[in-house]
Amino acid sequence: MNSVNVDKYSRSLFRPTTVLVEDEASGYPLTESILSRLPNAEVVVIKRPTSENLVRLSQQFSPDTTLLLGSHRGRFLKACPGTAESYRCCLYQILHLGLGCNIGCSYCVLQGYLNNPFITQFVNLDDAFAELDRELERPGVFYRIGTGEFTDSLFMDPLTGLAPRLLDYFGRCENAVLELKTKSVAIAGLLDYPGEIGETIVSWSLNAPQVCKKEEGHAATIEERLTAAALCRQRGYRIGLHFDPLLYFTGWQDEYRQTVASIFTHLEGSDIIWISIGAFRFMPQVKEVLKANHPKTNITAGEFIRGIDGKQRYFSDIRRQLYRFLVTEIRRYAPDLFIYFCMEDKYLWQDTFGFAPADNQELSHWLDKCCYCFVDK
Amino acid sequence: MNSVNTSSCYLADIDFDDRTFPFSYGLLPASLEISVVKVGLLQPPLLLSGDKGLKIVCGRRRLEVLKRLTDGAEKISFYLVENSSAKELFRRALWENLAFREFNLVETADIYVAASQLFTADEIEREIMPALKLPLRPRFRLRCQAITEFPGKLRDLLALGIFDAETVDLVGEWSDDERSALTDLVKDAGLRRNKLREVVSRLDDLARRDKVSPLKFLSAARKAAFCEDGSIAVELLRGHLKALLYPHLTAARQEFAINQEKFSWPANLRLDPPPDFEGGDYRLSFTFTDSREWEKICDKLNSVALEDIDELCQRG
Repeated sequence: MNSVNVDKYSRSLFRPTTVLVEDEASGYPLTESILSRLPNAEVVVIKRPTSENLVRLSQQFSPDTTLLLGSHRGRFLKACPGTAESYRCCLYQILHLGLGCNIGCSYCVLQGYLNNPFITQFVNLDDAFAELDRELERPGVFYRIGTGEFTDSLFMDPLTGLAPRLLDYFGRCENAVLELKTKSVAIAGLLDYPGEIGETIVSWSLNAPQVCKKEEGHAATIEERLTAAALCRQRGYRIGLHFDPLLYFTGWQDEYRQTVASIFTHLEGSDIIWISIGAFRFMPQVKEVLKANHPKTNITAGEFIRGIDGKQRYFSDIRRQLYRFLVTEIRRYAPDLFIYFCMEDKYLWQDTFGFAPADNQELSHWLDKCCYCFVDK
Repeated sequence: MNSVNTSSCYLADIDFDDRTFPFSYGLLPASLEISVVKVGLLQPPLLLSGDKGLKIVCGRRRLEVLKRLTDGAEKISFYLVENSSAKELFRRALWENLAFREFNLVETADIYVAASQLFTADEIEREIMPALKLPLRPRFRLRCQAITEFPGKLRDLLALGIFDAETVDLVGEWSDDERSALTDLVKDAGLRRNKLREVVSRLDDLARRDKVSPLKFLSAARKAAFCEDGSIAVELLRGHLKALLYPHLTAARQEFAINQEKFSWPANLRLDPPPDFEGGDYRLSFTFTDSREWEKICDKLNSVALEDIDELCQRG
């Protein structure tokens, strides 16, 4: 492992002082391992809570300092909810191992979706892997699987030690690639991993420095994220980058230009498997929640129209401006880098790139091909 | 309840200003007045001895109607409660009221806040909030607290149902001056629920976007929508705010309209862009009454240059 400030990379962004353990979650190795890393935390064993009980519990135990360990009963592997067919989605698969994170991004849409106020870690990993075994048996199907949809993939990895467990599994998978998405630099578990890492992708969500500072809570700075990305690349991981959500604000061009320039001071274009771009969008009901949770932010006070999928989106001319600018900037450094839109319509694809995926399957296939290309390299 | 005795008093003996049991706020229904006029107080109110007179526990609306009709000179029968805790009386009055009617926003807020002084947190969650149909979320508690602190004029409008709960949340953080200006606008423009919510939402968004007081936009919108007869034209008001909040969209609409004018189409033939220019499907529509009109429309359409259509549909 590179000797650069090791401590920084092995620090969990979340250090709970209380751990609520569902009775069904007791005794699992992951439960024991997490509790052993929190010797001073108050441990409270609870019955599996209903959503109403969760609200009550949140008044008793602060969600800011409490971790909930639970046993997941439903499916672990789920299709990314994406959005309506009018917008192109990449048919990503989510490995659902946890919920919530404490980074505190003002724009986080999970604020409006989750009815569980606690950061939650599911501990019945063997059930998850058994389900993956069954699913990945399907012949001729390639899976892009991520853990960063309902949580940040790495923000408390030093506490859970989950990334190495996932690498144990996906490092030997031939028809699936794992993408870990984060805004943290908790990469020690990845750098120290002694085994085969396979085609695992480590991705960072990026934004303008000003957005990072004002809207992304205590996420790592853009420089820190990119430094961590470079270290992961040195270790052999594929690097993905996600500009999502793009925000439209005074001076956005200079700000995003700065971030793009930073990318290529840390990484070569060929180090990056893909860059996704998506402009800020949210379900209408999220607006009030977001304003209540982050009274200082003004990100929802823009020129938002109701999209065909019912989500609030910037008016298309604004999205077009954002996309064309960012794509042009990226192309200056890496003309051949694969860039795609997350949940965007074919007209904006066409306007920006000059081509558009005919449907979600085609976009999915393009991303799968990126994975194969990396395998070939 | 430990003890209830039937007694009688003059309305003047009742302390109408006491709001220990705040179960009624706002205009009284006309049907109640008719009922009191026709048959009087069929059910005696529940009163409690207080320092400044008898406190109303239950039956305030009927008593207020009677007071208005009789100038307080009427003698009434009532139930006098003694040896009961305020909490027990509050609970009794709450369920008694709920048996007959739903509370308006102000009543709900007043009851919640008053109950918070009497009941434990657990009792509030298990009994009071469900009874008031308040979800167990902090924002609903904050909303109630905000409503109790609103100026009287605004509370009056809330009690009338002119504001919905979402609009209340929006103005929750506004200053008294801002709320007062809004109250005036609501009265002058006759704004009601949905349109009011839209106007307030846009004012709030503009203020947040530019980090200024909503007053700045409210005053400008008032001026823009001011009519010679002194009224405020609601559609002008909405249009003004929309143009301020959606400058790009407004420009796109204007540009589209100008481009379409080039075609000099008759009124029965029109082309519409996708709603808010989202997606790509433009809609061409026309009406006709006979083959001559049909032919005219076909001629008009055939005369359109394809470059003009491209220009019309070109975005960005």
